[in-house]
Amino acid sequence: MNILESILVALAAIFSNKLRSLLTMLGIIIGISSVITVVTLGESSQKAIDMEFEQFGAGRAYFSMNWREDYSTKDLLTPDDIDALKRSFAEEIEAIVPYVHERGKAKSKNDWLDVSLTGGDENYIKIEKVDMVSGRYLTVEDVKGKRAVSIIDKEMALEIFGRTNVVGDSLDIEIWGSQVSFIIIGVYEKPKSTLQAMGGQTLGNIFVPYTSLEKITGSGDYYWDFELTLAKGIDTDNVTQKMIRLIERRHGNEGQNKYLMQTAEGELEVINNVTGIITLVIGAIAAISLLVGGIGVMNIMFVSVTERTREIGIRKAIGAKRRDILMQFLVESVIVSGIGGIIGTIIGVGLAFIVSSLIKIPTGVSIGTIAIAWVFSAGVGIFFGIYPANRASKLDPIDALRYE
Amino acid sequence: MIKIENLSKTYNAGSISVIALNNINLSVKEREFVSIMGPSGSGKSTLMNILGCLDKPTTGVYELDGECVQDMKDDELAVIRNKKIGFIFQSFNLIPRINALKNVELPMIYAGIPAKERRVRAIRALQKVGLEDRMDHNPNELSGGQKQRVAIARSLVNNPSLIFADEPTGNLDTKSGNEIMGIFQRLNEEGATIIMVTHERDIAMHTKRMIVCRDGEIIEDKLVENQIIINSEEGSL
Repeated sequence: MNILESILVALAAIFSNKLRSLLTMLGIIIGISSVITVVTLGESSQKAIDMEFEQFGAGRAYFSMNWREDYSTKDLLTPDDIDALKRSFAEEIEAIVPYVHERGKAKSKNDWLDVSLTGGDENYIKIEKVDMVSGRYLTVEDVKGKRAVSIIDKEMALEIFGRTNVVGDSLDIEIWGSQVSFIIIGVYEKPKSTLQAMGGQTLGNIFVPYTSLEKITGSGDYYWDFELTLAKGIDTDNVTQKMIRLIERRHGNEGQNKYLMQTAEGELEVINNVTGIITLVIGAIAAISLLVGGIGVMNIMFVSVTERTREIGIRKAIGAKRRDILMQFLVESVIVSGIGGIIGTIIGVGLAFIVSSLIKIPTGVSIGTIAIAWVFSAGVGIFFGIYPANRASKLDPIDALRYE
Repeated sequence: MIKIENLSKTYNAGSISVIALNNINLSVKEREFVSIMGPSGSGKSTLMNILGCLDKPTTGVYELDGECVQDMKDDELAVIRNKKIGFIFQSFNLIPRINALKNVELPMIYAGIPAKERRVRAIRALQKVGLEDRMDHNPNELSGGQKQRVAIARSLVNNPSLIFADEPTGNLDTKSGNEIMGIFQRLNEEGATIIMVTHERDIAMHTKRMIVCRDGEIIEDKLVENQIIINSEEGSL
């Protein structure tokens, strides 16, 4: 008997017991759909996080003092350290600036708005990506000349001026009690970000030359951290170690663990590990329901074998070999699980789409997941079908024919 | 065609062993029409099962068509049953979910015959038993006599050397029973070798040779005198 005949016989058996077959499939449907939902959501959130990092800057890094260790003035970072890093790692560093961020109040028509000021330089756009809408970005001259120029975002422009064509206007900002007028040289638009969308409104951010911020606050001799962006495709861990060693040499504190470097890549790895583990754990719990579904298939296959004992006897008497009977029941079990798997996949993908659209992350249904789910459900059919099928195939034809 | 030498069958039920067949010798030639008779417990069913390759003897030799089958493996016996033996049972043993035609096709499926040829041969077999107009009926839509005729058609499709019938008229009324015996006689005339188990002497009288079993032994083996002949008109085929 060939496989096609087995399939036809199995389909006839399945359709002659529609309700029972459907209930048996239900276990597989629930199992497969929950596994697919969980895994797809896991993959989707991973993808969302990856995209987020891509936007935020995959190469973004912080070089900072190790706050867990004591340090003296001679250990503190200096402007010369920046120059040294720029010289030694011209290839690896795309942008580097001291971390200079301040809070201030910007004067609106009839109010003072809380704003945050970010000190940058001409390359800072490589650290924090923004889309320029009008005007220009910071230049070397702005930084060197410690010019009081600023780049504000579109929404802030609307809030303060009620319009967006504000390049050339001046913006009064109060920092540390002193009021400074910044000329607006550019307007940018915040990139659409899923995490930000999830977290609600973020504070308006104003980019100014870091030198001008230092001038206002009277700082700039020492730093606690640098912000930087590393080039793509480099060995981040290796470069990180080398940078720390360079700075240690410059300050004569080799091996004293005074500096730290955090990279977005490292953070991403940690987050991906966490989401991976969460997905795995929930997926494993979901897989238990698949296991339960599989046991349901096995149970029904036993019922089916017992019910058709006489039929097995007839088939054997007229020439069915053990293999023929085995195949008949195995194919039946695989078809039940397989159809359950297909329905479960459709439901699972649908659920994943609904949930991910509710929490606003892009859904990434991978063909791989679906393929694995199908193979898995067919595997369940074979695994849980083989025992009943084997028992059927071993029935003695005389006993089977006598069975009432 | 069939040669049995010193054949015994012992069943072990716990500590007791029951001798079902004791040192039987028997031979059946081609084109014979044999009935095996005997009360229940006489060993006739065991003999039938062994002759039909459904069971294996404990000791002794069974030669079917020149092949020694007593030591064959289960799957080899399945092939023998499929190719050389046609079975007809008291309770018809048709598969209930599928129609008469499909039931008749079944042995050919296991013989690996392509679908088109199966259909042609199954229809021809059903014509032979006069049931071609009922071929798309399921077994539960057929009368007892019709069911048994489907079973006969099924037993014929692989052109077996031997047809075994186990109490073929046991579940039928006299008229249907006579019809079936008429078909057997006609098939025998056409060259089929038939062995039939029955406990009714009347039915056995339709065959040509009568074997009587008792306590696991053959106690009588004789040609039937005054064989009851059913001509086809009377059998209303």
